[in-house]
Amino acid sequence: MSRPRALQNIRVVDFSWVRAGPWATRWLGAFGAEIIKIEWPENERGRLPSTTTPQNLEVNLNTSGNFNDTNVNKKSLSLNVRSAKGLEIVKRLIAVSDIVIENFSSRVLQNWGLGYEEQCKIKPDIVYVSMSGYGHTGRNHHYTTFGPVAQAVSGLTWLSGLPDKPPAGWGWSYMDDTGGMYGAMCALTGLYHRNMSGQGQHIDLSQMVSSVPLNGPALLDFTVNGRGSRRAGYPPGNRAHWPGAPLVSNCRGPTVAPHNAYRTDPGGYNDWCVIVCHSDEEWQRLVRVMGAPAWTAFSKFDTVGGRLQHQEELDQQIEAWSLTLGKYELTERCQAAGVRALPVQSAEDRVEHDPQLRHRQMYLPIEHPALGVHKVQGAPFKMSETPAANHLPSPLIGQHTREIVEGLLGYDREELRAGFADGTFWPVQRPRFPYMEEMLR
Amino acid sequence: MSGTEKPPGPLAGLRILELADHTGHFGGKLLGDLGADVVKIEPPGGEPCRRIGPFLDDIPHPERSLSFWYYNTSKRGITLNLETADGGELFGRLAGSADVILETFRPGFLASLGLDYESLRQHNPRLVMCALTPFGQTGPWRDYLSSDLLHMAAGGEMASCGYDEADVPDAPPIAPGGGNAWHMGCHFAYMAIMAALVHRTVAGQGQYIDASIHEACALTTEAAIANYVYRGEVLRRQTGRHHAAGPTPRTQFRAKDGNYVCALVAGRLNPKYIGELADLLDTNGMAGDLYDPKYQDPAVIAANTSHIIDDLVANFIASRPAEEAYHAAQERGFTWGAVRAPEDLFGDGHLHDRGFWKEVEHPELARSVVYPGEAAIYHGSPWRISRRAPLIGEHNKEIFCDELGLSLGQVSMLSENRVI
Repeated sequence: MSRPRALQNIRVVDFSWVRAGPWATRWLGAFGAEIIKIEWPENERGRLPSTTTPQNLEVNLNTSGNFNDTNVNKKSLSLNVRSAKGLEIVKRLIAVSDIVIENFSSRVLQNWGLGYEEQCKIKPDIVYVSMSGYGHTGRNHHYTTFGPVAQAVSGLTWLSGLPDKPPAGWGWSYMDDTGGMYGAMCALTGLYHRNMSGQGQHIDLSQMVSSVPLNGPALLDFTVNGRGSRRAGYPPGNRAHWPGAPLVSNCRGPTVAPHNAYRTDPGGYNDWCVIVCHSDEEWQRLVRVMGAPAWTAFSKFDTVGGRLQHQEELDQQIEAWSLTLGKYELTERCQAAGVRALPVQSAEDRVEHDPQLRHRQMYLPIEHPALGVHKVQGAPFKMSETPAANHLPSPLIGQHTREIVEGLLGYDREELRAGFADGTFWPVQRPRFPYMEEMLR
Repeated sequence: MSGTEKPPGPLAGLRILELADHTGHFGGKLLGDLGADVVKIEPPGGEPCRRIGPFLDDIPHPERSLSFWYYNTSKRGITLNLETADGGELFGRLAGSADVILETFRPGFLASLGLDYESLRQHNPRLVMCALTPFGQTGPWRDYLSSDLLHMAAGGEMASCGYDEADVPDAPPIAPGGGNAWHMGCHFAYMAIMAALVHRTVAGQGQYIDASIHEACALTTEAAIANYVYRGEVLRRQTGRHHAAGPTPRTQFRAKDGNYVCALVAGRLNPKYIGELADLLDTNGMAGDLYDPKYQDPAVIAANTSHIIDDLVANFIASRPAEEAYHAAQERGFTWGAVRAPEDLFGDGHLHDRGFWKEVEHPELARSVVYPGEAAIYHGSPWRISRRAPLIGEHNKEIFCDELGLSLGQVSMLSENRVI
């Protein structure tokens, strides 16, 4: 590796599973930290159940596509942490690591005898990031979340949808993605602080709580103006304002029209484009792009107030035009004229058709021993000195057990064999993968 | 809020120059609330996003934007016209001792003023500079215009959010509100800045970061990309729950008070779970036939999924207010949640216990305002809001006179000449 890495020589003990925690450590790994993912096949959550195994492969612990994308840049140590021997190995690992990160329920690590105080005894300047659903303190610390529950309880679900309809919410675990971001942000911040002060600390992240600050302006609208979000015309779909409702800010930028999604040719499921005009001038540019059709000559559309008042008619007319163009052609025409427009893009669109993401090399292929060569999501930033990169595919379960146990912790081959024989490194009754047999030779 | 007895935040000692509009000012807040000294540099007259509502008492004014208030806590504010020679020179002096510059200008703008990273680092090799822009500094879309809605479309958020046909026939893809495209961009920018700062503690050198909001959004759709890459699937939108290749059972149920509860039941249904579910539903005498021994057979459970979810669970939730159903379920280990509006959160005991809400003084208004607090509790170096958002040019004297050594007369002259 010719370029230095931002987190060179940083080692992370990664107990995380499912999505939010692994998404956090994925990024620490992309920055060059050595991520040691501790797993146990009997209670593994993240590899199985898999809905992203290619149709031509058997579903097993090593064939989840989403696991691969979420766990690049990591090594895997299969270890029964609930055994005395396993716990001893974890402690030796923490002694030579910088960061411990996990996303279990709030009391799990403590119950293992690995709470922050214990970690400190082993490694005084350890940075410990816990990523539980509700955090380690507070009356509901024992509640559990997955993304949609955190989104519901925090108010994030509420701000998505059409007025007088059930909330549309978020069509995925936004707070597993964003919770993962916060996990990585906390770890990096704690690490910077440690490098500057010599002090480690416990950082108690909560997935539910971390969702709440994302509603900041709406919360201030309530604390300052007493205006809640259970009101007519809210949420306003894709619009900045719903026709007929009182004119108030809906916390999605300036209150303007057009501000909506419009169908495009050929009218398929994801054939939509969004168009927004932030000013009368931008509106006039859109009028020219549309070829100045007769309906645009009515003065009621000349001002933002008029366009908001006649938004239904405005949107119908725009859609009659947008349906004549493909979403990428419409985008190019609008943007060339200085009009804000972009296509609604599916995953296929982003991977195959988005010229910007292609130019920025967002999806580069990487080879995985069980899955073969597939595109993996890259970093959304270019760093001039320490580029973030996907340098390892996701690990097979237990793939690096020998490397870590012998190479890093100094156990010998006999101890490794004994650990496999007594169920420390793999359940005794469970068939081993061929690479495990290889490891024991 | 004084925090005098508490240790400083983890980023204490860092000087950040923030040249950010509505797309990037959350990034400065993330840094400032964790203890960095963030100096926000606005154009004379104030940053245009001060005109974005909602406003204090609904009176539009650049000092009354609640959006601006929220995203600019823990910053000091100065005004400076970078497009003047004097402005550029003053900025260069500030950049000479800064740790981080966060800027959101269109690509090429700072270079056109001779204030690009290559120039600035000549005088400050430790400088970390992050340009956060809609599409990055290169590529065919680099000069495209954007907005939050546009990013949610192209980033893939909208393709995953919407309604079941039964709920809203022929519904459009939906963009969740609240400015989350900017949040996504700022989270990744913060991460990259911190990685660069950690690297600097070892290597002694700064670096340039070219961050893209579009890419940040494109990365934030969980398994959608993997579903396509590994299986060629394009996912369908469903009301209040995950996108999926084929229809999945609903997870959002209307409660007695008209509010909703998010309850994931399908996918967890096994004999043990059925027993626990029966006990929960029985608290309202609504277990139905769930105690029937036939449910010890997974095949019977599978055959009755719709009955269990659409009849029993739905009726149970419909019989109780959403908050009650949420807490009753969670106390018994069910991962359920009430769908709350933001204002419902002020009564939440858990947030109260964590000291989440912060009183922030607005001395010019002779009042304090309650703000949301921290995502995470940093036990060794606490998060805090050190001050409310700066007024326009509030710290001009502090920075230009006390720090850069200009006289009050010079500041007046520069102000008259629209430099400051």
